[in-house]
Amino acid sequence: MKKRHGISLLLITAFAVFSVFSFQKSLTPYVSLAQARESGMNVQVKGILVDKQVQGLADNKGIAFRLRDAAGEEVQVLYPGTKPDNMEHAQEVVVIGRYAERCFQADKLLVKCPSKYERQGKGASS
Amino acid sequence: MMNWLTCMLVIGMTGAVFFWVPPAEGLGSLVRIAYFHIPMAWVSVLAFLVSAYYASCYLRSRELRYDIRSAISARLGILFCFLATVSGAVFAKLTWGTYWNWDPRQTTIFLLLLIYGAYLVLRISVRQDRERAKLSAVYALLAFVTVPFLVFVVPRTFPTLHPEPVLNASGKMEMEPVMVTILLAAVAVSTLVYWRILLHLEKKANASVTKHADCMKEENV
Repeated sequence: MKKRHGISLLLITAFAVFSVFSFQKSLTPYVSLAQARESGMNVQVKGILVDKQVQGLADNKGIAFRLRDAAGEEVQVLYPGTKPDNMEHAQEVVVIGRYAERCFQADKLLVKCPSKYERQGKGASS
Repeated sequence: MMNWLTCMLVIGMTGAVFFWVPPAEGLGSLVRIAYFHIPMAWVSVLAFLVSAYYASCYLRSRELRYDIRSAISARLGILFCFLATVSGAVFAKLTWGTYWNWDPRQTTIFLLLLIYGAYLVLRISVRQDRERAKLSAVYALLAFVTVPFLVFVVPRTFPTLHPEPVLNASGKMEMEPVMVTILLAAVAVSTLVYWRILLHLEKKANASVTKHADCMKEENV
């Protein structure tokens, strides 16, 4: 009896681990710029803001900036909305949209704040 | 007595979160959401662990009182998990810019809700006490196997927008001492609330079981 239970438990655990590995891609929504370019679909790309520079576009058309992904590839991003307040201080930025021609058209922009839980006005450490 | 004390502690805790916690760099006052979100998540994991523990107690002894505890704890785990998910989504909207983007942390907590949601369905679908207890116990144990993966391993494997966990790889606590203290207190108070609710629901469940047993006895007479 015990042995039979042990084997079943082992099989189920093995199956679970196998499932996690095969579903790895579904566990994260973020893709690289290369994958974004290939797929041409609406994707999420996570990266850093190059030089912490954000330009405003004329006629309130939005903002433009360069994004560098984890692989080191850079792209010009165009976002038609308003710049999030804390964008220059963000650790990372996520652009959601499509890779079109030579630039990335973002519909949505997300920011990741630094994980420091320090008191305000302590003086931001680099 | 304990219930009064618990209520006082909850009120005191809420006061501490609003008046003692200093606004954080960057987040400002929004950091206070974390004092709800984090305790909910921790207690949920604890509740699932307790559920698995009493499930194994049941399987070894076949005493229904363990099944009752296991089931109540699993349900509370789902409740706290749901509260953690919702508070997380609100936090995400305010700090990232969107309620939900299937960030790995969000996906894994959603999976956790599904896995334990199936536990609820299992319990409703089996009528017979002992059969239900046996199946639930096995499921509670298997479900708990996934918890360390989903809560601790997977979210650290993939890049995420979620802030680094307080128990992080470098072993450093990147948090003001006063904030850490109040956070730990919040976790402790939430655990106490969970335990009181568990005991209360267990008492209610046992009372109805006794009533049912008495009715059965009367019918047989």
